[in-house]
Amino acid sequence: MRYDSITDVIGNTPLVRISPAVHGLKNIDLYAKLEMLNPFGSVKDRAAWNMTRGGLATAMERGDSIVELSSGNTAKALAVIAGLHGLPFKSVTNRMKVPEIKDLLLLLGAEIEELPGQTECLDPTNTDDPLTRIHRVLSESETGYLHTDQYYSALNTEAHIAGTGPEILRDLDGHAPDYFIACVGTAGSSTGVATVLRGHNPAIDVVGLVAHKSDFIPGIRNIDEVHEVGLFDPATYDTIESVSADEAIDGMLTLVRRCGMLAGPTGGGAYHGAVRHLRKVDAELTERRTAVFIVCDRVESYMSYVRKRRPELLNQPPRQNSVAGLAPAELTAATVIDVESAQKWIAEDHPLVIDLRGPFAYAALHIEGSINIVDELFDELLHGGLPFGRSRPVLLACPVGEKSVRYAALLTRMGHPDVRSLSGGIIGWRDAGAPLVRD
Amino acid sequence: MRSSPLYLEPRLEPRLRSVLQATDFLHTLVDALGSPLNVVLPEQITENEERFRAVYQRHHLSGDLYFAHKANRSSALVRQLAVTGAGMDVASLAELQHVLGAGFTPDRIMATGPKNREFLWLAARAGVIVNLDSKAELESLAELVGKYVLPRVRVMLRLSAFQAPGVKVLSRPSRFGSHVSELDTLLDAVERHRDAVELIGVAYHLDTIGLPEKAVALETCIRVMNECQRRGLQPRAIDIGGGFGVNYLADGGQWERYTTELTNAVLGRRPALTWQGHGYGLRSESGTLRGALGLYPAHRPVAAEGYLDELLSYPAPSLGRPLATLLLENLYDLVIEPGRALVDQCGVALARVLEVRHTPTGDCLVRVEMNGGDVSLEEHGVLMDPVVIPRDGSRPAPDAEAVGVYLIGNLCLEADLITRRMVFLPGLPKPGDLLAFANTAGYFMDFSADHALQQPIARKVAAYQENGTWRWRLDEQYWPITCTGEQS
Ligand SMILES: Cc1ncc(COP(=O)(O)O)c(C=O)c1O
Ligand SMILES: Cc1ncc(COP(=O)(O)O)c(C=O)c1O
Repeated sequence: MRYDSITDVIGNTPLVRISPAVHGLKNIDLYAKLEMLNPFGSVKDRAAWNMTRGGLATAMERGDSIVELSSGNTAKALAVIAGLHGLPFKSVTNRMKVPEIKDLLLLLGAEIEELPGQTECLDPTNTDDPLTRIHRVLSESETGYLHTDQYYSALNTEAHIAGTGPEILRDLDGHAPDYFIACVGTAGSSTGVATVLRGHNPAIDVVGLVAHKSDFIPGIRNIDEVHEVGLFDPATYDTIESVSADEAIDGMLTLVRRCGMLAGPTGGGAYHGAVRHLRKVDAELTERRTAVFIVCDRVESYMSYVRKRRPELLNQPPRQNSVAGLAPAELTAATVIDVESAQKWIAEDHPLVIDLRGPFAYAALHIEGSINIVDELFDELLHGGLPFGRSRPVLLACPVGEKSVRYAALLTRMGHPDVRSLSGGIIGWRDAGAPLVRD
Repeated sequence: MRSSPLYLEPRLEPRLRSVLQATDFLHTLVDALGSPLNVVLPEQITENEERFRAVYQRHHLSGDLYFAHKANRSSALVRQLAVTGAGMDVASLAELQHVLGAGFTPDRIMATGPKNREFLWLAARAGVIVNLDSKAELESLAELVGKYVLPRVRVMLRLSAFQAPGVKVLSRPSRFGSHVSELDTLLDAVERHRDAVELIGVAYHLDTIGLPEKAVALETCIRVMNECQRRGLQPRAIDIGGGFGVNYLADGGQWERYTTELTNAVLGRRPALTWQGHGYGLRSESGTLRGALGLYPAHRPVAAEGYLDELLSYPAPSLGRPLATLLLENLYDLVIEPGRALVDQCGVALARVLEVRHTPTGDCLVRVEMNGGDVSLEEHGVLMDPVVIPRDGSRPAPDAEAVGVYLIGNLCLEADLITRRMVFLPGLPKPGDLLAFANTAGYFMDFSADHALQQPIARKVAAYQENGTWRWRLDEQYWPITCTGEQS
C-alpha cells in the first residue's frame, strides 16, 4: 500500500479474533481492535491528528506551539505531528511516570514540564487542578499556542465516531457487537466507538474500565480521576469496572505470550476486564455473541513498569563472578587494611589503587595516584574476568569500606593473590587526616 | 437507604493506644485541668529519633538531626531530646531562648528561617549554627559579629529555585532561601566575610511531598558543595530540611472509600458529607469534577523515616547514582530537620463533650469544649476521626449504630466547626464523654491556638509510664531525669 504522508497511515487497524483456546469462552467470539498498529504506536494517533489537522495551517503561519496535558501516548503522537510540521511541542504533566516515554519524548524534541508535587503543609491558595493551571498559563502567555485539550475536545471523540467505530462495524459485516470493552483515559475512544455501535445495536453492553484506586496503570484513570475528565459521561457505559495493575499485567502476558499481540498494560487490562465480564454471561447464552475490546498501545515502552511491579517476569539467570554469590566466609576471609598500613603499603609496594566511587566524587577529592572505576562499571568488567594481571597488588577503596571488601573477596575468589580493601574507606582515610587531592 | 459509616480511624502505635485506653487517667486529668487539654508523650520522640538514625546507619551516613521546634511548643518534648543526641531547629528568638534553657549546647542548635536582628545577635552570641536565609542576612550577621566582637559564626546557606536537567520540573516558588542562580555573589560574600563566618554546609527545605523535586535540590546541593571546595571553602554538611510526612490513618481502604464518596458527594451523586456541601477544594462544573483536593494525603504508606529512606535511595537526576551513595562518596554529612514526622504518635488533644443535639434538618451536632484553633486538623487539611472516651468507662455496645455527626466548638461563631465534614462515630457520644484527637503533636496542638472569647488555651501535660502505669506532670514540670521509670 502506498501513501503520501505518514498521517494517512493512521486508522484502518485490524480486528483480530482471540482464539477460544486462550480465553475459554464457549459462546462468544472475542475480537481485539489493534490500535497499537497505528503509525506512532497507539489509539491516540487518531485523536492527536484529528485535534490538530484543522489548526495546523494557522499555527504554522503564526509559529504557535502545540501544547497538551499528557504524559503518554497523546504527547508522543502530538510530538511527531508537531515535528512533521515544524512546530514546537510542549507537554505538561503531573509526573512522568514511565521513563521510556519520557526519554522518547525528549528524543522527539518535545519540551516537558512537570508540575510540582503536593505541598507537605496545606496551602489554601493552591486549589487548582492541572487543567485549570494550564488554561491560566496559556491565557497569560505572550506567544501563541494550539492547545489540543484532549480531556474536553469533541474532536477527540469525533476521531473515533468517524474512524474506529465504523471500522469495527465494517469488519463485522455491518453488525455491531453485543459487547464492547475499553479502558478509559480521556474517554475519547470509548465514547466515540460506543456512540457508533449503540446507534446500530441499542442493546449493546458497553463496559468502561478504570484502574483500581490505589493502583497506577499508565494511560488510564482511576475511579475518582475519571470524574475530572470533561468527555466522561457515566451514561456512555452500562458498567464501569476497575482492574488492578497486576490484572492488567496478567492480561498483557496472555496477549503477548499466547496471542502474538505485543500489547501494553491497558490492552492487557481490557483483555482481562473483557474476559472477566464475559465469563459471567457466557454459560447462560444459547446463541453466539460477539465482543470487541481495544488494544491501545504496545508493550515495549513499559519494561521498567513491569520490572518495578513484577520483577520475576524479567528474571535473568545468575551471572558469573557476582558479589551477590559470595559466601559469608569469603567475606570475612577478605584482606582489609587500615589507613596507616595502607599509606605505608602504597609507599613501599605501589599497589594499584582503585577508587570505586562515582566520577563526580572522585574528581572532587581522591587518594593521590588512584584510578577511578565506578562500582557499576567494575561489576560489569568482573563478569568478563580479571581486568588486570595477578602480579600487581590491588588496593580497593569505596566510601566506608563495605563495597570494597565484597570486591576484594570476589577478586580473591577469581584467583587474585593480593587484593586488600581499605578499611573505613575514603571517609576513614579523611577522618584519619590522610591526604586527599583534587587534580 | 442508610449509608454505611465512612470511618477515618487514626493510626495508633502501642504507646498512644495505651494512653487512650487509660480512660480513668484521662478523665481525671481533664476534670482537674479543664478542657481542652493536650497530652504529650515524650518517650515516643526518642523512639522516633532512633528510627531516623537507623536509616542513616543503613546508608552509612553520618550527620545530625535537628527537631523543627515549630511543630510543638512543649518543653517536655524538647527536654527529652536534650538527653538524646538530637539537635534543635529554632525559627524565632523565643524558640532559641527556650532550647537554650532546656539544656541544648550551641553546637546542637540551628537557627533557621528569616531572622530579625535580636534573633541573629542571640544566635551569634550563643554560638549556634546560623542557617542563612539570604545574602542580606549574611551581611547583617557579619556586621553584628564585627560590631560586638563576637566569635566566628558557623553558617549554612539555604538555597532555593533549583533547576532540573532534561525535563523541566516545576516547583512552587519559595519565599525563602537564596536563588541558586545567584550562588556566585553569595559565595563571594562568604569569602569576603571569612573572618565573621565559617561555611559548614548548604541547605534547602521544600514544601512538597514530591521526591523528584527534592532529588533535584539535593543533587544541586552536592554540586554547590563541590563548587565551594573548588573555591577553597570547606563545608561538610548538606541540610535537606524537613517535610518527611506522617501516615495518620490506620487503614488505606477507609481513606480511599472516603475520598471516593467525597467526590460523589461533590458531584451530587450521594447525600452531602460536609457542612453545607463544602468540597475541600473540589467543585462540580456541569457534572465534571474541577479543582484540587485540598487535603493532606492522610494515608501515606511511605512517610517519616521511610520517606527519608526512599529519598536517599532515589537516583540523582543527572549524576545517576542513588543520592545516599553520592552523599557518602563525596564525604558529606547529611543534616535533617524533621518536625511533623519526629512528633508522630507523640500526643493527643482531649475535649469534653458538652451537648449532643439534633437539628430540625436532621443533622446531629456534638458541641465540645474547645474551638477550631485548639485542634487545627481542619486548617491543616488532615481528616482523622476522634476516639470517644466514655465517661462511665463503657464501650459502645457491639450492636450500637454508627452515627454521622458534626463537631462544633465553643466560640459561638457560625464558622467555629471543629470539622467541616460529617464525622462517623461508632455510637452517639454523651455529654461528659471525652473526644480524643490522636496524633496531634505535630502542628495541630498549639500552632494556631489563641484566647478568642477569653476561652482558656489548652494546658499541656507530659504523660509517661512507670511500672506499667501512666503518670503525668505539667509540661513545664517535666524533666527527663526525674521520669526515667527508676524513681521520682
Ligand atoms: C495506553 C493507553 N491506554 C488507553 C488509553 C485510553 O484512551 P482514551 O483516552 O481514548 O480513553 C490511553 C489514552 O490516554 C492510553 O494512552
Ligand atoms: C526550614 C524548615 N525546616 C524544617 C521544617 C519542618 O518541616 P516538617 O514539619 O514538615 O518536617 C520546616 C517547616 O516549615 C521549615 O520551614
